[in-house]
Amino acid sequence: MRRFFLIGTFVLLALASIFIWSKSYYAEKEEAYVYLPVETGKFLIPSEMGVFERAGFANDYATMDKNFKGGRSLETYYENRAFHGAPPSIPHPVVDELNMGDKNCLKCHQNGGFVPKFKAYTPVVPHPEMVNCRQCHVTQNTTGVFKEFNSSDFPKPSIGNAAFMGSPPIIPHQIQMHENCLACHAGPSAPKEIRITHPERSNCRQCHVVNNKEMTDIGVFTR
Amino acid sequence: MIQKNIDRRSFIKKMAAAAAMTAAAAMFPGIIFATEQLENLPKGGNLDWKKGPCRFCGVGCGIQVGVENGKAVAVKGDPNSEVNKGLLCVKGYHQTMCIQAKDRLTHALVKKNGSYVKTPINEALDIVAKKMKQTIEKHGKDSVAMYTSGQSTIPEGYVASKLMKGAIGTNNLDCNARLCMASAVTGFLTTFGADEPMGCYEDIDHADYFITWGNNMAEMHPVLFSRMLEQKNKRGAKIIDFATRTTRSSMASNKSILFEPQTDLAVANAICYEIINNGWVNKSFVEKYCNFSKGKTKIGYGVEDKFKFKDESQKIDFEAYKIFLKDYSPEKVAKYSKVSVKDIKYLAAIYGDPNKKVVSYWCMGMNQHTRGTWINNLVYNIHLLTGKISMPGNGPFSLTGQPSACGTAREVGTFTHKLPKGVVTEEKDRKLAAKIWKVPYENIPAKPTYHATEMFRAVDRGEIKFIWIQATNPLVSLPKTGRYRPAMEKKSCFVVVSDVFPTPTSDVADVILPACWHIEKGGLYGNSERRTQHWNKMVEGPGDTMPDAWMFIEVAKRMGYGKLFPYSKENHVEEIYNEYRQFHEGAKHGMAPIEVLKKESGVIWPYVKGKSTQWRFNAKYDPACNNGKDFHFYGKPDGKAVIWQRPFEPAAESPDQEYPFWLNTGRVIEHWHTGSMTRRIPVLHKAMPHSYIELHPEDAKKYGIRNGEKVKVISRRGSCTLPASINERGLPTKGQVFVPFFDENMLINDVTLDAFCPISKEPDYKKCAVKIEKV
Amino acid sequence: MPIKSYILHFEEGKQEILLKELHKLENCEVIPSQNHDVVVLVTDTATEEIDHNLYNQLLEIQGLKHLSLVSGFDAK
Repeated sequence: MRRFFLIGTFVLLALASIFIWSKSYYAEKEEAYVYLPVETGKFLIPSEMGVFERAGFANDYATMDKNFKGGRSLETYYENRAFHGAPPSIPHPVVDELNMGDKNCLKCHQNGGFVPKFKAYTPVVPHPEMVNCRQCHVTQNTTGVFKEFNSSDFPKPSIGNAAFMGSPPIIPHQIQMHENCLACHAGPSAPKEIRITHPERSNCRQCHVVNNKEMTDIGVFTR
Repeated sequence: MIQKNIDRRSFIKKMAAAAAMTAAAAMFPGIIFATEQLENLPKGGNLDWKKGPCRFCGVGCGIQVGVENGKAVAVKGDPNSEVNKGLLCVKGYHQTMCIQAKDRLTHALVKKNGSYVKTPINEALDIVAKKMKQTIEKHGKDSVAMYTSGQSTIPEGYVASKLMKGAIGTNNLDCNARLCMASAVTGFLTTFGADEPMGCYEDIDHADYFITWGNNMAEMHPVLFSRMLEQKNKRGAKIIDFATRTTRSSMASNKSILFEPQTDLAVANAICYEIINNGWVNKSFVEKYCNFSKGKTKIGYGVEDKFKFKDESQKIDFEAYKIFLKDYSPEKVAKYSKVSVKDIKYLAAIYGDPNKKVVSYWCMGMNQHTRGTWINNLVYNIHLLTGKISMPGNGPFSLTGQPSACGTAREVGTFTHKLPKGVVTEEKDRKLAAKIWKVPYENIPAKPTYHATEMFRAVDRGEIKFIWIQATNPLVSLPKTGRYRPAMEKKSCFVVVSDVFPTPTSDVADVILPACWHIEKGGLYGNSERRTQHWNKMVEGPGDTMPDAWMFIEVAKRMGYGKLFPYSKENHVEEIYNEYRQFHEGAKHGMAPIEVLKKESGVIWPYVKGKSTQWRFNAKYDPACNNGKDFHFYGKPDGKAVIWQRPFEPAAESPDQEYPFWLNTGRVIEHWHTGSMTRRIPVLHKAMPHSYIELHPEDAKKYGIRNGEKVKVISRRGSCTLPASINERGLPTKGQVFVPFFDENMLINDVTLDAFCPISKEPDYKKCAVKIEKV
Repeated sequence: MPIKSYILHFEEGKQEILLKELHKLENCEVIPSQNHDVVVLVTDTATEEIDHNLYNQLLEIQGLKHLSLVSGFDAK
């Protein structure tokens, strides 16, 4: 009796294994369903993307009181950078000297905000994706100089450079790493001379074009 | 203390202003106050602001031009315009600067012994009229042709049509809108029987989803895109970018879905499959308002001369349509469209959700397509199956690229088969035209002749001996210009070009006529949302420049048709418009009277009893609906729209071993079409001095090409050398290159293919096979 | 030193002329509406007398249909 039971069990197991094996065999023979490699995820065009990055805050900027205290002006803006586009130095003590690639700086500089200690609004960084901040931004630990310096005038981008009466001013500076217009041109930390009146229009480059694109300049268009 | 006091005062002033604005908002809900641009303008000055439409794209923004001492010195967005509400794009703001260009055509130039001689305009017009007359006498009516433009004003298009079809009696009239809008027209006609969108731009304020089909609106229709972005930021509306290339629009969208060129046909069918399979069909809408039809398949590409095609429609039922769709399950379509099953289902779910309002936008991606009519039909299918059409915030919307592609090319009908109302093949339409034009009915031939591409092929074959090109630049904008440039240079054809600036087209002309730029003449344009816009002359044109309409009239007079053109020089715009308006009388297409147009910043037709119809075919808004139901597609005899069974068919030319890349062409925000105007505006030229070829970074790496290095792009037809652009303005998919076509110094259209949609005859500039070489 | 704000209604199509006239006035801040025939005006004057004169000047402007005072402050 027991023998029959054992034989039965083995037969069952054998049948089951044959069934499973044949099923997987035929499944294998079926034409494999292969998708063409679909490139997923959003492609990034850094020079085009930045302009929309802070658009989420645009409506807040638009309704902000324009006559607040503690804002910057272009003068103070250039105080801690050598020329336009040079990384500004850090005018305040830093939390952690050893910090590298962390988000310590972004705590304040990602979105800005008022700092009672300095009675000022934190500037917003236009390139928050680059977190090794101190690669470019250094602290100021002395006001003196090593040797006297011939302070030649570095050209600063001009303001009020509309081509035409009432037309939108052109962008007078390079936009590499500054693609995010609203970071510097809107909000309480924006220098008042270059703070825009209409931050809610998020597609800035619809009206404002750059005038110094690095291309082979072919001069004024002639035929 | 003083400082504090001033702050307090300014604060109180703000409070006072805010109180007044709040009070005003209570009285007029939705009121907007202008603050932006006015702040920058000098107060009080002697500026005289004159209203008009923008000269460039089909969006049709309202502009105000500041005129001081007879010169246009400023441009601002017209705050009264419902289109742009005071905002423009960079081209719009700087537009009037182009007329200051030093190489402006100010006098007529006549070619004598190989060089151009400055000629008084009257003599030049004599020559044109004489030549035209002689040619007709010697070779017959069909040896003369006219090629006009979607930038011609309504009066210009109207006189051109009256002169060619009514007076001379030839259908040899076509326009550059054939290269841009023809598929949209045939799409509308086959599905609805009536041309032009049913909705309007106000849809943007109501929609939950914007789905753009192969359309980079952030650069090409920036003002509308800004309106969409505003809704995205304020209401959380979503933008879905469905395209073959990653662009600025993709960057601003909520989701970007890429597809393999030409497979939009399959994806649209797959969306319909999903909608039906999931029970998302609006059954009562489909039963009451839709028919099903199928047309011919394997319809060819028109690459050969004298290509002929006539579609035949055959009624089918819903069941047959369902069986047809079985080939387009998302799983099957995903295999060749490179769109994931998930993404197809996602798109279908958006269209299928009865609680979400969806607008589909498209422009050249769908129109410049060898199956352009089909893909237009297919997107309408989606909206018809779900009943999302002709309602605020719901509907398909075909955008245009030229300021009067709708107003002139489509409504006046400057196509070979068209009349201001109806088509030449219909007897009753010819009779109406003959009656209003006061010409014998037999004058208007019943057979259409050459469409744009075929017209220039006929020039090449020597059939057309005289061609007059107005306000367009075909030797930059035609496909396969490599064939048509030598064709136009042939002695067999006398070429007249009227334009504002010298172009590669005027270079081959025998007579160049100097035209007025738009603010130097009065006129009317019609934009994408059926809005007719009038403007008065604002400044004087230089030298001998003349409005195009008046050139036609002068030539007509010299040819002996003076009686048919009894208009006065000062007031011809108004007189012609009043005559033209008679064609469209009635609730279906009634146009606003000129007095209303002069006052308003554009008025949408049908204009019935002093009111614009914003949503056609919907009984709630459209007085022309008279079947007693909620919707009435009155373009079709039985009042029902057609859901078309249209299959996927491959492109005319696909990449292969020898030519492994797709070539896609298009525009950039800074330049408009062939750049003859925008390149002469220093701000725009500095921002985008020349064309380029966009490559995928991996393709560039494979060929060892770095940004800015010269690349030669070669097809079976020609080649063009341009600097490479990698990861800049746009990012094509692997195996695809993109080139803007504005640059007359780098003629990419030497490379493109002149295959067209057999139904609409519109060429496909977006797909041909090329190879690239590092130079 | 009164500060007042008004809502001005004007006749259709007269906006251009009206704005030109308003810009000529001193002590005025003009905020026109983009989509209605309405202008918001804020006046900021040094004395009651100037304010009164300004008010009379406003009434004389051509094309003005209706003028209503919304709020007034006296900021001393």
